[in-house]
Amino acid sequence: MAKHLLKFTVNGKDHALIVDSHERLLDVLRDRLGLRGTKEGCSTGDCGICAVIMNGRLVNSCLTFAIQARNKELTTIEAIGTEKNLHPLQEAFMKWNACQCGFCIPAMILTTKLLLDHSPNPSEQEIKASISGILCRCTGYYKIIQAVKSAAVEIRGND
Amino acid sequence: MRRFDMYVPANFDDLLAYIDEHPISNEIHLIANGSDIINRIQRRQLKARTLVDLSGLGELNYVKKENGTIRVGALTSISDLIDSPIIDSRLEVFREVASKFGGPAIRNVATVGGNICAASSSEDLLPVLLVLDAKVRLRSKGNERVIPIEEFLKGKRQTALKPNEILVETMFEEVGNRSACAFEKIGMRNSLIIAFVNCAVYLRVEESYRIEEVRIAFNRVAGKIPARAKVTEEQLKGTTITTSNVSRLESVIRGELRTSPDFRASAEYRSDVACVLLKRVMKRCIHELERR
Repeated sequence: MAKHLLKFTVNGKDHALIVDSHERLLDVLRDRLGLRGTKEGCSTGDCGICAVIMNGRLVNSCLTFAIQARNKELTTIEAIGTEKNLHPLQEAFMKWNACQCGFCIPAMILTTKLLLDHSPNPSEQEIKASISGILCRCTGYYKIIQAVKSAAVEIRGND
Repeated sequence: MRRFDMYVPANFDDLLAYIDEHPISNEIHLIANGSDIINRIQRRQLKARTLVDLSGLGELNYVKKENGTIRVGALTSISDLIDSPIIDSRLEVFREVASKFGGPAIRNVATVGGNICAASSSEDLLPVLLVLDAKVRLRSKGNERVIPIEEFLKGKRQTALKPNEILVETMFEEVGNRSACAFEKIGMRNSLIIAFVNCAVYLRVEESYRIEEVRIAFNRVAGKIPARAKVTEEQLKGTTITTSNVSRLESVIRGELRTSPDFRASAEYRSDVACVLLKRVMKRCIHELERR
């Protein structure tokens, strides 16, 4: 079976790996690069939990073959904030208790970060649309939406 | 994941040469960004030993307008399509489809060409392309042909593609001053769902709202692919349409529609919903024309 040289940038770091044709991006991120923040949910593109940012856009890493990420720039949850200096979204999710089991939160943070990058003062409808592909079975979404609103205010205040 | 080989063509000519030597079959299949194909591999519906990766062919990602014809490259994602300034307020119908088309992460990867070639009734884009009377351009090594999308869609997951051909673009005429196009879908939820029924309409009228041209397409009503309601279209041509007389559409469309049941909805429910949707979509076209 053919092997491929995969060169890509993940969280600002260049990587070159030999991958098999059938390896998914999700597995390469988690198992080869040890970036376990990206979670595997349904594996069929329905739950959105495995979402990562590829060239500035949200994609499901379970529906992307690793080799298709060649020459691309990826951002995973590991690059958002640091333990000592959390991103305002992460602070707000904690403050609003928007994380219960936490499984969907990496994807929620990434999609809402993209939203706030493009639209610093989003309407509730825009927030709902941005998280529409990601399933949360705990929070009922209300607290997530509140957290995003409050993070938006916080980020605008910082500018 | 079942094992297979991935062929990554160096460029478009390399791709044409490759599929000329290795025609598409059960063994060899094309993959754009994978949102449909990966599921089919996992469900063992697709048993290809080799996938040919199209995702790197950036030259097939474009939306252009030339002499009133809009051309959309096969690898244009749904997000790229609706972000294009060429898809203006006259073509808002694409945004209506997109807003009900998976979540953002799916719209970012699902391609226009992938939707057409999947030729499945779950693709919401197809009824809209049908009523826009879209054509598709097919390329193979040393050959090119353009056929109507209606002729391209042969059946569920069946298309007019020859084994050495690839769909490179779809094109359709811009929506003119006296024309409008709209789409509606009814499903369990608004998005991320395969509809019970969906309906698209293209309407062109004279000043007096006499219908010059009307095209109606339904999806998931009967059979496995979307189809035009041509008997109804013929009967409506030349008649005057207003928001107050759209109810007359019901008896006409009931005469033509043959609905079939599945686990999502019964045949009776489908035909009732199809009538409601048609009236609703037609009204939206008329409102749109009145606003101009």
